[in-house]
Amino acid sequence: MDSKVTKEETWPKRNLDVCTRCATCVAVCPVARVTPLFPGPKQAGPGAERFRRPNEPSVDKWIDLCIGCHLCDMVCSSGVNISELNLIAKAKYLDEKGRPVRDWLLTHTYLFGRLASLLSPILNPLLQNSVVKWILDSVLSIDQRRQLPRYQSPTFRQWFRGDRFESDKKVAYFYGCYANTNEVDVGKATVQVLEANGFEVVLPPQKCCGIPMLGNGDFKEARRMGLWNVPSLSKAVSSGLELVFSSTSCGHMIKHEYSHLLEIPGAEKLAQHTFDLFEFLRNLNGSGNFNTHFKPISKKLAYFAPCHLRSLGIGFPAFEILRLIPQLEIDFIDADCCGLGGTFGFKKEKYDISQEIGKDLAEAVARLKPEIVLSDCEGCRMQIRHLTGLEVLHPVQVLRDALEKEG
Amino acid sequence: MHYDIIIIGMGLAGLMAAKTAIEAGQRVLIIGKGMGSLCLFSSTIDVLGTLTAPMKMKNGLSQWIQHHPRHPYSNMGVEKIVEALSSFTALFPSSYSFRSINDGNCLMLTGAGTLRPTYLIPTTMLAGNMLEGRQGLVVGFKGYKDFYAHYVAAPLKCQGMTLSLPESPREEMTAAAVSRLMEKQPFRERIGKQIRERKNGATWVGFPAILGLHDPIHVKKDLEDAIGAEIFEISTLPPSIPGQRIFARFKEYLIQKGATWLLGHSISQASLNGKRCEMVFVSNPPVLTSYSADRFVLATGRFVGGGLAATQEKIFEPIFNLPVCQPASREHWFGKTFFANHPIHQVGIQTDPCFRPIDDKGDVLLENVWLAGSILAHHDSIGEKSREGIEIATGYMAAKRALEK
Repeated sequence: MDSKVTKEETWPKRNLDVCTRCATCVAVCPVARVTPLFPGPKQAGPGAERFRRPNEPSVDKWIDLCIGCHLCDMVCSSGVNISELNLIAKAKYLDEKGRPVRDWLLTHTYLFGRLASLLSPILNPLLQNSVVKWILDSVLSIDQRRQLPRYQSPTFRQWFRGDRFESDKKVAYFYGCYANTNEVDVGKATVQVLEANGFEVVLPPQKCCGIPMLGNGDFKEARRMGLWNVPSLSKAVSSGLELVFSSTSCGHMIKHEYSHLLEIPGAEKLAQHTFDLFEFLRNLNGSGNFNTHFKPISKKLAYFAPCHLRSLGIGFPAFEILRLIPQLEIDFIDADCCGLGGTFGFKKEKYDISQEIGKDLAEAVARLKPEIVLSDCEGCRMQIRHLTGLEVLHPVQVLRDALEKEG
Repeated sequence: MHYDIIIIGMGLAGLMAAKTAIEAGQRVLIIGKGMGSLCLFSSTIDVLGTLTAPMKMKNGLSQWIQHHPRHPYSNMGVEKIVEALSSFTALFPSSYSFRSINDGNCLMLTGAGTLRPTYLIPTTMLAGNMLEGRQGLVVGFKGYKDFYAHYVAAPLKCQGMTLSLPESPREEMTAAAVSRLMEKQPFRERIGKQIRERKNGATWVGFPAILGLHDPIHVKKDLEDAIGAEIFEISTLPPSIPGQRIFARFKEYLIQKGATWLLGHSISQASLNGKRCEMVFVSNPPVLTSYSADRFVLATGRFVGGGLAATQEKIFEPIFNLPVCQPASREHWFGKTFFANHPIHQVGIQTDPCFRPIDDKGDVLLENVWLAGSILAHHDSIGEKSREGIEIATGYMAAKRALEK
């Protein structure tokens, strides 16, 4: 009962009547493009919304196929919040139908991240083991064709505890679960780049941002994470620090969904001081305070802009910054949505759709023939590795390499 | 963030302005609320569709300018219009390129089964111009409801064929989905075989304009080999795949050239200092981000693009609140019948010959803001069949003028 009241209070203004039915959103929807099972954002969002009544049960069986990329919102000339309408409808459908244990497991990995890191020597081989994967597939419907993330030890937080650069200029960092336990070097590189620009990095206490829960329509759990994070992060901000994030998904959640969709007290103020890492660096560059003592890197790279970066509405700052590195050849990958959609692509019933969406990206990468692919989102990186077999990094890892002193 | 020039609007006019500015070495930010009407309606490039066929476009434009001194074309002259169109076509140097037939308008078959005059035509559509005296076939797909092959074929007295798609169990396919299928070789092979078997001696085959987003020339050639007939695309209902190809090419080019690309969020307000715009604010709740620049180009379109909006009584321009040249009252907005001339299709912002906004007395209202595209007053691009031409020409010219100052 409690959560229901909250949800109704926090749901946004329904602006579906400004939809002119132009169908631009249908043209870009990655899911509708590959499967007729999803009717597309126009029908699923403003179209079906007209028939939804709060007291009637949800009949939108296909709503769970919305991957949550926000691309429909981005291309709409009328400003309809299509993906939000979809997400709310998804929440209602799954609240009524009930969620499988699998979805709880996939969205609560933060609970066992540290333990998994500690046990990584045993756990990693198990997670790659085909028998284990077969069991996960048949019991939990986590698709066995999907690579499961490996855990690393020590964690980013443990690494950070060493002797750190100190300075009057300080910046707070939201590293996110994945950088903490699965891709520790992304966290390290972020700290190293910020330090190379004269900043002392501060890690405010933080938990999972909650985007996995929100993506699965679990507003209650997502809100719980936000209610924990906002006061902790706000404390850093109140002491005069800006907050940067290296994961565009976590960042989008903190900066936009916390306030707009979940109405967490204090989130609006926090958002004003929260920046994508490369947006922060681009601002430094704009004011002439960016360390550009780069050594040349002669490599051919390709950059993929994640969906959540697009909906942050800041352009492609990582692409702009990396172009400053001498000799670096970097192409922009002409593709929308990698198809992983966070936990979406791990689910057995959605794996094929996820892969089919990813094919367009894989083909775009194949046309460019890069040595390394870059993307700011851990989900995209996982998917691009899976699709192409190439080395895939966060742009900050390349920037760090360019800033490293020779020899 | 500070830029040399900020372009507001991602339709053809804004994209052309951005291209022109970035080629002049400027630091460019382009902001678009959505993909706009380019991706909905455009496929060929209309410049002045009211000209009849044998007349050369250049001559026609000269005459038009003489008789329409306030028209946006008249602010730049024929030479600059031609220059702008060349700048546009230069962006498509590869096999998917745009050209005119005999330097004038030609009649192209549409998805409504009619012929419409247009000027620049993409390679995939060219063959649709020479149909007379040849046996042909129009192909549609069951479930793709924006194109009915028999309806298109009937006035031409040729065959129509509707293919079933097993990929579509719900019997509903969008243009984007069919277009993506077209990019798959096994799919082309299958439908190519079906069409070859039933083509009945047709020497040309017309498809709706869905021959793939990325490499339509390859799709076309592959299908031609499979079918054994010449193939062309027929422009059809929105959204437009050929329009999206144009958008994608501009996007690729501008990002690679170093423009900052901001799609998806609208400008909520502008900050002025006297007659100068200093910065604009992009709204992405709860964050409002300011971007400053020395110059601005406003290319937000009319009603579809959101450049103009209306209350019950009045049409207004939402960002700068520029005066909109419009009929005295709402009762004069519309003509009596659907196909009549509607005065609302001529509303817009008046400018000086340099495309800066002016008031009724002719005084410049904003010194560092230039206007381009449909938002300009004194044109009826629907009636004139001049939409893309006006957008390309004025987008190019507004940026040129901006950089002169």
